[in-house]
Amino acid sequence: MSSSNFASSSMSGSGGGGGGSSSGGGGGGPCGACKFLRRKCVTGCIFAPHFDSEQGASHFAAVHKVFGASNVSKLLLHVPVEKRADAVITICYEAQARLRDPVYGCVSHIFALQQQVVNLQAEISYLQAHLATLELPTPPPQPPSLLAPPPPLSIADLPSFSAVPATYDLSSLFDPTAWNLPHQSDTLTSQFPTPRGGGDLQELAREFLARRDPCTNQPASPLPPHSTT
Amino acid sequence: MNSSRCAACKHLRRRCPSDCIFAPYFPSNNPRRFAYVHKIFGASNVGKILQDLPVSYRGEAANTLCYEAYCRIKDPVYGCAGIVDQLNEQLKIAEYQLATIKAAITTALQPSYLLDQSLPML
Repeated sequence: MSSSNFASSSMSGSGGGGGGSSSGGGGGGPCGACKFLRRKCVTGCIFAPHFDSEQGASHFAAVHKVFGASNVSKLLLHVPVEKRADAVITICYEAQARLRDPVYGCVSHIFALQQQVVNLQAEISYLQAHLATLELPTPPPQPPSLLAPPPPLSIADLPSFSAVPATYDLSSLFDPTAWNLPHQSDTLTSQFPTPRGGGDLQELAREFLARRDPCTNQPASPLPPHSTT
Repeated sequence: MNSSRCAACKHLRRRCPSDCIFAPYFPSNNPRRFAYVHKIFGASNVGKILQDLPVSYRGEAANTLCYEAYCRIKDPVYGCAGIVDQLNEQLKIAEYQLATIKAAITTALQPSYLLDQSLPML
């Protein structure tokens, strides 16, 4: 699974040198998390399999700054062991995104992707209409799924959290080039699920897009990122 | 004790000062909003994030923190990354559709194709 490979190559090492997937520091020294927290890395440390003693400490610093070690520990305890590597990857992704952009965090990535999809679907609709006006025979039959009108684009229409796929490709999460916003549009029909009675994220999305510099597609007034120290 | 405590101070069972960092963004009529962010990020971390931002950005930050927390509660493994992946999939499908339609238009505009269509049946 790509997420497991990603996790093993970028964050976990040898479990802090202690061997075994669930061992603590043992004779190999503390894991990255315990090193950062300056505490004894016990056998069965929940962080040890996911934060090696080298790069793991810096990754954990970001996680601790945003979420807090205690909260992450509780989160991981409620996740099946086989899913914890993926959970750690996504938690690290969100933590780093939040430090990089304290206002929007990883939600800016979601906004950018949502806008790209909206723009593409608008282009598809336009070209479909153009194709129809040529009054020529339709192209060779395609599988129905390709000619079907695109589903309405909205976070609210995405599969429910209880029906998420079993696997995700997490390899693009840490690629900032995948976040680029190629087009800017004044209209944004997407809606984001909000906690009941929560803030107006749709309005938030419009404001966010309005602030992006049309030349660079970068935020018009970037704020200094948090430091992890 | 302040009779109009914000949701954060109510949740934390403390007095709500007049300059409470949470009060503008976590009103008492929506306790779930703060409950989400407190569960995932912790009140202290949320307070620090908001404190380090200019006032004009704090509302948006609070909203995105709520959204992230909501996503993480609903999907403890993937959180917002699950949404990102779904959008990437939608993007791939849309790009494929676009390429297909462009190819169809290109084919339809070929002179030989147009000529074939215009010749009467003999």
